[in-house]
Amino acid sequence: MLDLETRDRAASPERARIVEALIEIAAERGYVETTVEMILDRAGLDRSAFDRHFRGKYDCFLSAWQEINEDCMRKMLEAYNSQEDWPDRLRAVAHEIIEGLRHDPSRASFAVEVLAAGDAARARRDMTMRVIASLVDAGRNEMEDSEAVPHTTAEALAGAAYGQIYAKVVRGEADELPALIPQLMSAAVMPYLGIEAALKELGRGSEQPARYRRDVAADSPDKPIDPATTPEGYPPELARLPPGRHGLPREFVVHNQRERLIAGLAESIAENGYSGTTIAHITRHAAVSRRTFYEHFSSKDECFVAAYDTVMAELRERVSAAFDDTDDWPHAVKGGIGAMLHFLAAEPHLARLCMVEALVAGPVVVERYDAAIQSFVPYFREGREGRSPEVLSRLSPTTEEALVGGMVSLISRRIIAGRAEELEELLPDLVEFTLTPYLGSAEAAEIAQED
Amino acid sequence: MESKFPASTLAFVAERAPQAIRTPPGRHPLPREFITQHQRARIIAALAEETVEKGYRAVTVADIVRRAGIARNTFYENFSSKEDCFLAASEFAVKEALRRVVDAASKVDTWPARVNAGLAAFLHYVASEPALARTCIVEALSAGPAAVDRYERSIQAFVPLFRMGRKISAKGEELPGTLEETIVGGIFWIIYQRIIMGQTEQIEELLSELVEFSLTPYIGAEAAKRTAAEAPPTPAS
Repeated sequence: MLDLETRDRAASPERARIVEALIEIAAERGYVETTVEMILDRAGLDRSAFDRHFRGKYDCFLSAWQEINEDCMRKMLEAYNSQEDWPDRLRAVAHEIIEGLRHDPSRASFAVEVLAAGDAARARRDMTMRVIASLVDAGRNEMEDSEAVPHTTAEALAGAAYGQIYAKVVRGEADELPALIPQLMSAAVMPYLGIEAALKELGRGSEQPARYRRDVAADSPDKPIDPATTPEGYPPELARLPPGRHGLPREFVVHNQRERLIAGLAESIAENGYSGTTIAHITRHAAVSRRTFYEHFSSKDECFVAAYDTVMAELRERVSAAFDDTDDWPHAVKGGIGAMLHFLAAEPHLARLCMVEALVAGPVVVERYDAAIQSFVPYFREGREGRSPEVLSRLSPTTEEALVGGMVSLISRRIIAGRAEELEELLPDLVEFTLTPYLGSAEAAEIAQED
Repeated sequence: MESKFPASTLAFVAERAPQAIRTPPGRHPLPREFITQHQRARIIAALAEETVEKGYRAVTVADIVRRAGIARNTFYENFSSKEDCFLAASEFAVKEALRRVVDAASKVDTWPARVNAGLAAFLHYVASEPALARTCIVEALSAGPAAVDRYERSIQAFVPLFRMGRKISAKGEELPGTLEETIVGGIFWIIYQRIIMGQTEQIEELLSELVEFSLTPYIGAEAAKRTAAEAPPTPAS
């Protein structure tokens, strides 16, 4: 979890200069040849400046990569939310990514070079890829039978798009990227909407959907405009709000109102989605006044962040209690996953809020979402203890992150499909999936099937 | 099928080569250089293992030489550079995979059944050679310009097999031009993800989903699901 200090350092202009210099040099020379001296030379700073912000070259690369990914995720989600229809949403995301690569060749080259930094860089990329896959997978909501398409399809489409874009960037053919858009869009739409829709996407060429629904909404007379939901309403201090603040003890009544507001937010999100939710919706569901809302939160986003933190804290607590309840690691994992599914199934609104809307809500929670994923990694990592060299050799340094990511994406797909209540049915599959790398498939399946 | 990761590459390339000499003619023997140049096979196996451990860029010729237990000179008698060796590994893996796919596909009649049988053979090969698979699929997307050529070449090797589907599709001519790259690239990506997650043993369980994914654009979702539900002939090793 990012703390206040990290955020302050992240905002430092000195640090930003180092990162910019790093990106330029790495794009020119590659990961191996880039040295801290070159970076400092370009940035016009001395070694002590570097040491204030980074532990070394590797740390500097990964920090820059982390920021690029967060920024990319933020922009993608904004683009996604700027449109109404799912194909337009995807198209906006494709444009966002491709225009970003074309207009910032250094960052594009950096995104290729950084992969040489090793598994951690790749894992970070894969997390972004999973978010892209979940945006593609939202296509199943457009279908009569939302389970009609295999769950690997979205992942495959996103990965194939990555491979094609990556190849063009490496070859310095970024100008040919827009021509890929109709091709990629057509292939992505086909499994969900059928061949006619796919050919229509092809016929649209690299046309760009109108940007930013927020602008459109502002002209629309039938939508109430709430200043706190417009982009101008995003309070700048929100980005620096330390996560722990919401856990501070407060007066009971105040605390209680907060919880009512949070529950109200979760209910309105379940009804209208995050972007369709207004403060009026929240106060109606919570049965409190608008004034009370503003006594607790300065905007819808701040309320969302509080809600997210509260739900995640509860979830973490339950998982941790269930995990600690059993000494035997595989059964502890089963207990932890079971507790997670039980909580999410019992609270479908909260489940939707923290597993799905968190990705669509955009800027405010993306990094919290990442941090939440990381917080589950240690439970799995314990599984390495005492394993044979043969087992350890089939694990990569990022196996645990990939397992958490895979698990989260299976869970969120159920929730997106409106089937949170059935989440507990996933238990045997998830247990088998997560234990297999450590125990082998036979033993994992056996534990998964036990009552 | 055991997941001997990464030792199986060595087992496969080095042990299989002599066997191939005894293979009766007509049964698609391994490429000539792997029969006659046992050393080359050992070097390639060593490269794959080192790559899995360290990532392509960190691997040096010295690492490969040590792992293969050969003299540095021997390496340079066979390959001009690490890159050259990598290219040979990738070419070998693609050729071998393609041979198995075509072999399996030729045992059935219709194109959808061929995709089913071919993919089954492909996944079976990948599951039995995780180190080689990782070297060719994963590392290709992180080793820079030369590797990208290899990645694209690997994809292109399988593209024609899918492109045939256009002939039986009502809209074959109109389908997006890069559809086949998307199908093959998508399959590679899914395999990469499974390898990273330590799920190499389960790769073959992906068969029906990937068959459905590959066939849907050509024959529609319903027919694709039907083919995916049929069990393909058991892949030969």
